[in-house]
Amino acid sequence: MAKFVLMLPHAPDRYQNLGEAEFMDLMKDYIGWVEDMTAKGKFEGGEKLLDEGGKIVTNTSGTIEVHDGPFAEVAEILGGYMVINAADYDEAVEIARSHPHMKYNETIIIRQTDASADE
Amino acid sequence: MTSSDSIHKLRDETVRRERGWLIASLVSKLGPSNVELAEDVAQDAILKALSIWPYKGVPDNPRAWLRRVASNAAIDRVRRSARELGVDDDWDFITTEPDIITPSLSDPELDLMVLCCDPELSQKDQLFLALKTVCGFTAAESAALFFMSEEALSQRLSRARRQLKSRSGTLARFPTRFALADRMPQVMKIIYLMFAQGYLPRRGDDLFRVDVCREALRLSEGLIASAQVKGASLHALHALLLFQSSRQPARTNSAGELITLDQQDRALWDRDAIAQAFKHLDAARADEVVTRYHLEAGIASLHAQAVTWAATDWASISRLYELLSQQAPSLAVFVNWAVSLMMLGDENGARETLATAGSLSNAQSFPGYHLARARLAQHSGNTELQKRALNAARACQTSTAVDDHIDQELNLIE
Repeated sequence: MAKFVLMLPHAPDRYQNLGEAEFMDLMKDYIGWVEDMTAKGKFEGGEKLLDEGGKIVTNTSGTIEVHDGPFAEVAEILGGYMVINAADYDEAVEIARSHPHMKYNETIIIRQTDASADE
Repeated sequence: MTSSDSIHKLRDETVRRERGWLIASLVSKLGPSNVELAEDVAQDAILKALSIWPYKGVPDNPRAWLRRVASNAAIDRVRRSARELGVDDDWDFITTEPDIITPSLSDPELDLMVLCCDPELSQKDQLFLALKTVCGFTAAESAALFFMSEEALSQRLSRARRQLKSRSGTLARFPTRFALADRMPQVMKIIYLMFAQGYLPRRGDDLFRVDVCREALRLSEGLIASAQVKGASLHALHALLLFQSSRQPARTNSAGELITLDQQDRALWDRDAIAQAFKHLDAARADEVVTRYHLEAGIASLHAQAVTWAATDWASISRLYELLSQQAPSLAVFVNWAVSLMMLGDENGARETLATAGSLSNAQSFPGYHLARARLAQHSGNTELQKRALNAARACQTSTAVDDHIDQELNLIE
């Protein structure tokens, strides 16, 4: 079983003006999905990223520059990532299709982890 | 109900419980004049905790996790407000909770309950406040419970909070410990009404709201467990709620339709709840005082003991209703008294008592009244009258009658 990382981006203002009840419903869908995937042995874990803050450190011709977030000008920011178990990309895509993120947002980026050094 | 719906409902209850606990803990720190701030902070903290959950996966102990994450978030947010308000910002309240799944009420929860049961507020406002703060219902959830718009409910709540605030002033500590004994009858009444709100048949998707009943049971159990509160009448109230709850499994058929007490399969009744109820009924005899809860629990205990509807001890039940009609007269009491007289074979007595019920306001919109008329008519073989009464009852069901009679008794002819 291979591991895949699902990256979940959303529009920077996606959750800012959401009503309380709406937000709760949305969270319940996400939590329900995670419970479902955990029960099937597909969910490994993940991290939610803080919406506020963020820094970009760049090396421009030998000079390190640090820029502060938030990055309001970008179309989407990364909300967090999840790690799932799947046999191959086909299965990973099927899992992503069922993800509530596809209902409430637009994009999921899937990348397989490189497990060649794992036991 | 799909399994995902039931997971949602369970999750809602967990979240509500933790929200209520957080609000109470925060109010105990911020003072009774800051209930609204406590509610806001608690809600923000809960939302923050829930937004992390999907990424981390569902924890083994969701309640402990939720409480820890939400408490930390609340502490962060409230420190600033606490400093501005000039109250103590020593936030160690999280670690002092020894058992996070205890059914008893923490002192802050009890304080908050007493605060909500302010005699200057209308009974309904007290109930709204208790649900919102002590029990952690969101405005949307409370509004759905009472078939109100969220906006209307929020306005009522704001008004109630302003009234509370104007009386508690800027006190940073609770004045309510002193009010505890005075307000206990009112606290009990609100718990009773909360239970009724979940127990009485409703229009809409859910016939009952068992979660609301459980919340009322938790509060009454918590009061008994609290060292600060004494009184045999608490046991009477708890016994009553347990007796009523014990019938819940038999109150609907597989199609989800209401089954009345006379038709229920008594084998489905929850014997554990009944056994517990009898213990509390025993404990309720410790006082000389006989409250309406004693009488109502007594009636419920007689139903619990009866093998069939026909073999019920109607003589004792009608005597208890007679006493209840003196102590807490209401439409439902007269109606039920009449039914018990009818079951005893005293048709004239039943007719007279029903006439008394019919003279009370709201009788015409009370389905129980018409159902009792229908029973009596059936008893005396008057099919025409029976049909008319049944039609009148059915007309009530589509109205807001159930809501209007929420202040009535639990011992409806179900």
